[in-house]
Amino acid sequence: MSDMARNKRTTESATSAALRRLADEDLMQLVRENNAAAFAVVYERHTNAAFSLAFRMCGKRAIAEEVVQEAFLSLWRSGAHYDRTRGSVRTWVLGIVHNRAIDALRRGMVQDRGRVSDEGIEERVEAAERTEQEVDRRDEAREIRAALGVLPPEQSRVIELAYYGGFTHAEIAAMLDTPVGTIKGRMRLGLKKMRSQLRNAQVIS
Amino acid sequence: MSWAEHGLECERCDDAAAYVLGALEEHEADAYREHLAGCAICREEVGQLQAVADSLAVAVTRVVTPENLRARLMAVVNGEAELLNAAGYEADVPTPARRGRGWRLLPALAAAAALGVGILIGALAIGGGSTTTTRVVTATVVSPPGYRATAVVRRIGSHLELEVVGMPAPPRGRIYEVWLERGTQAPTPTDALFSVTHSGNGSVGLSSDLNGVSAVLVTNEPLGGSPKPTRTPVIVAHLS
Repeated sequence: MSDMARNKRTTESATSAALRRLADEDLMQLVRENNAAAFAVVYERHTNAAFSLAFRMCGKRAIAEEVVQEAFLSLWRSGAHYDRTRGSVRTWVLGIVHNRAIDALRRGMVQDRGRVSDEGIEERVEAAERTEQEVDRRDEAREIRAALGVLPPEQSRVIELAYYGGFTHAEIAAMLDTPVGTIKGRMRLGLKKMRSQLRNAQVIS
Repeated sequence: MSWAEHGLECERCDDAAAYVLGALEEHEADAYREHLAGCAICREEVGQLQAVADSLAVAVTRVVTPENLRARLMAVVNGEAELLNAAGYEADVPTPARRGRGWRLLPALAAAAALGVGILIGALAIGGGSTTTTRVVTATVVSPPGYRATAVVRRIGSHLELEVVGMPAPPRGRIYEVWLERGTQAPTPTDALFSVTHSGNGSVGLSSDLNGVSAVLVTNEPLGGSPKPTRTPVIVAHLS
């Protein structure tokens, strides 16, 4: 390796290390200034959460990859739309992924919507719990699953079909042969109960 | 104290849960957003339930992203960053295949064009392998005081696309006309006539024999166009 190439690599490495120390919100400011290295750090921080959500919703790796790629490209190209007063970068990223996955589901790219994938359970590799933050996130996920799990089945089912399955309230009503108003009411009751439990557990404020 | 604690309800509060879960049809969601603008009770309800819905995103089993996704994504991002940051040098960048994507590139292209610099870009369909070559060429825009107009001319084979941003509307009773210039010969008219929106944006495309064309010009002409330019050009884009 030439001295020039070695120096370039050293500089890039130092820049990358400095960027990793920045908060998401500061990185987004750099992304707005077309800084690809800052974008790479945002991607690395949130890609597993994004892919996990897309995979849960779509159930197919190839489609989940496409959803995540589209979501991050959208983030790169519309970084200026991020507003830190309206939530964390993580929530914003996952919101984009959720919307993209719903688009994919409603475009009919996925068969057996709403069904958890059977595409190789062995592929569900848990990310290593390397940092304290990741441990916290795992605990948080457990709390949220628990809050969903204690709901009456008719409430948790409509919430899961809507959020993870991408079904509309009308589709769920037809599927369960239940009036639309009842479906909406169950969604609302379920979310309110979850809110109460998650507030008690200090997962949300 | 909240609206709910006051016992106040809106008849559309049940829509709040379906809305935050993404379970409304698009037109229903649009209508509900309009309703939210004027209903503090529903806004409060959405605010409370949104945090719960958002939390569902992180409650899933964690799966590690495939390694190759990062490389694919960063190839696109690095290419676009190079163009956006250089804006003025020749650069090869991936451009999205689908209409509407990559809009963020336009200001940079326009700025580069306004600086009188040609840019060659290769269009790479994301996730696919097809490539087409688009040449974005010099555009000098003469705009009146108070306007900061820019223009981009793309040449794709025998097809030309002109896109303007921030242009004033042509004077009343007139329209912009596109001309092709070959060397020192008089400009030849095209059937490409256009105006701009109230915000100054406009675009026009034309397919023609572009052999020997050295420049694309735009003048404002009487409605219907002219056989010969009656005004000096407001946009000049040199193709060679």
